[in-house]
Amino acid sequence: MIRIYATSVPVEDQDKALDFYTNMLGFIKKTEVPVGEYKWLTVVSPLEQSGVELLLEPMAFEPAKVYQQALKEAGIPWTSFAVDDVEAEYKRLTELGVEFSMAPKEAGTVKIAVLDDTCGNYIQLMQEL
Amino acid sequence: MPNKTKTFYESEVERLYDDGPIRPEQYAQVRQSKAFMEKFYPKKIELDDLAKAAFMSRFHYVRTFQRLYGLTPRTYLRDLRISKAKRLISQGLPITQVCFDIGYESLPTFSSVFKKCTGYTPRDYYRFNKSNLE
Repeated sequence: MIRIYATSVPVEDQDKALDFYTNMLGFIKKTEVPVGEYKWLTVVSPLEQSGVELLLEPMAFEPAKVYQQALKEAGIPWTSFAVDDVEAEYKRLTELGVEFSMAPKEAGTVKIAVLDDTCGNYIQLMQEL
Repeated sequence: MPNKTKTFYESEVERLYDDGPIRPEQYAQVRQSKAFMEKFYPKKIELDDLAKAAFMSRFHYVRTFQRLYGLTPRTYLRDLRISKAKRLISQGLPITQVCFDIGYESLPTFSSVFKKCTGYTPRDYYRFNKSNLE
């Protein structure tokens, strides 16, 4: 049966991204396989270590850079991750120096905040209400 | 600190939700039924209990819940229980205990629902998760 095993965020520098996604956001490194000058580098949630992997994908395709930049300029998140308490994560990450383009805000059935992943993307944190 | 000027995205979020057709009290009412599920999922929960927690009629409650969350209260409760089961299985609890701890009264039913939701039987999920951690 078909299933989703990975999704991705494009990043400018894979090592820098791994540092941010593990040490700041709290993901765990799952796979690191050399592929040419890049690597197949994935992280997982500590709670779903056998679940969907997040691929930190090298941004090496020029037209895609234009798209990524346009999203960033509009403040549109590349993707969204779930957290138990968005206010607590906002406080924790702000204290670590992470910048947010949008502070926690209720939007219907969720509370969301948007942070800068320092790798070219905005990322949304979502708490279901 | 967030930027002082709102991004296009934040402005759109405000436009879509602050002036939306759903009244704030409806969100609050449905959230109360979700809180009820979170508290009582280990026990048997009837639709009437949830509608009562939301201060709505059964019909109005199901319709409102589905409009807000995109799925029925029954499916939401099932997913909540399976999500709790995954955590308990990962912690190494016996499958039979997990089954009863999350509100199922029959092991075959629990196993069948778990497989439908995750693609694995509870036992295979435990083995797969354990091998991943190792």
